[in-house]
Amino acid sequence: MQPEQAQPNDVDLLKAIARQDESALAELYDRYRVILFGLLVRILNSREEAEDVLQEVFLQVWRRAADFDENRGRPFTWLVTLARSRGIDRLRSLGARERVAIAGAREPSEEVSDAVADAFKSEQRSLVNTALAQLPDEQKRPLMLAYFEGLTQSEIATKLGAPLGTVKTRMRAGLMKMRELIGNQSASFGF
Amino acid sequence: MKHEDYKEMIPARALSALDAADDRVLSEHLLQCVDCSRELDDWQAMVVGLAVSADPSEPSTQLRERILAQVRNEARTAVNSNVVPFAPPQRNLWSSFGSLGAIAALLVFAALLVYVVLLWQENRANVNRMALMNKEIQELRSAQDEQSKLKAIELIEMFEAPGAHIAELKATKMAPGAIAKIAYDPTGHAMLITGGLPVLPKDKQYQLWFIVPNKSPMPSKAFSTDVKGRGMVEVEVPAVAMDSGVFAITLEPMGGGSAPTGEIYLRSGI
Repeated sequence: MQPEQAQPNDVDLLKAIARQDESALAELYDRYRVILFGLLVRILNSREEAEDVLQEVFLQVWRRAADFDENRGRPFTWLVTLARSRGIDRLRSLGARERVAIAGAREPSEEVSDAVADAFKSEQRSLVNTALAQLPDEQKRPLMLAYFEGLTQSEIATKLGAPLGTVKTRMRAGLMKMRELIGNQSASFGF
Repeated sequence: MKHEDYKEMIPARALSALDAADDRVLSEHLLQCVDCSRELDDWQAMVVGLAVSADPSEPSTQLRERILAQVRNEARTAVNSNVVPFAPPQRNLWSSFGSLGAIAALLVFAALLVYVVLLWQENRANVNRMALMNKEIQELRSAQDEQSKLKAIELIEMFEAPGAHIAELKATKMAPGAIAKIAYDPTGHAMLITGGLPVLPKDKQYQLWFIVPNKSPMPSKAFSTDVKGRGMVEVEVPAVAMDSGVFAITLEPMGGGSAPTGEIYLRSGI
């Protein structure tokens, strides 16, 4: 299945889910499980926790599909925002000890088939990773800490031992650069 | 805060990286700025791209079934009943504690109820007392108003009475700008009014004197003034002072004296 071709159908799927159509939920799950699970594993560094959170995410989609406003963004953006938000909440609810343990023991990703890899936007992934590779580490690091660990600017400043103003400037500069590199193409990819 | 300051916060907000204070400030702004809200949507769409940078990973095959089973269960529950059934009561040790707890709660509730009733009664008594006090204050005010009114009428009548005399007292160097008038009828009944006298020192009062040739000053009443040096006092003018007497006001110890000791502040016949 080509997500970019199916993109218009995501809205229809969410409308069907809002009407309590189980098959629509199953289809949406099949379409995005790999990318969302990958995101959650990256945030939580635990497949078990990630599965638990992914289940919560799709139950939330089932209950709140009617809240989706297609004028505010794409279904993909909505799904990723929900998943990240739930993942960060779970990460925060874990004690500091678990977080340290998790950080020190990254689990290897499960192999995915070529078909699945095709299905979750390998082109976009390549584009984003290329863009990130072009960012100086001092700009990339704050973005990663904010996005995957849910840290605020003050927490990042403390963690990196940098002044808050510097962190703000670097974070903004990094995002501007990313937008410059992928911004024009992201819409066509359905971000 | 300038509009540009809000705009600078938007990318960090898209990453949920704003500190609480900044987040609160921006949230308030977003409620009223459509432009910034749209910009935030754009940034959020861009930031979502970071999710794609994570390594892809396949969840277990059972997860799909678990999700769908839970969804079916929720759908069935919603169709079968809109009422959540209560679990049947079970008697055990913990439920006995629950009963004791209920009794204790009932006793506490009863005690609170009695306390509330007592408070209510006390409050009611206080309200009645306050109403009574207010009424008394109103009565006093009315009485004072009535008294002032009567005094003013009396003063006007005195000034307008046939044969009334009015003498003006002028300021000496002790009280530049002060003035006083004394009005008296043929019987000697008089009213003294002052204005512009210096503020009285502590334990001091002004005193009116009648001065007639070849006699010692005759004392009249001592009186106080307000912060603007205004005073009004009812006095009796001795017959000997009515035709050729001089009226003078001096500063004296509280209550006045039989002979003047202080400087003259105001006097007639200047």
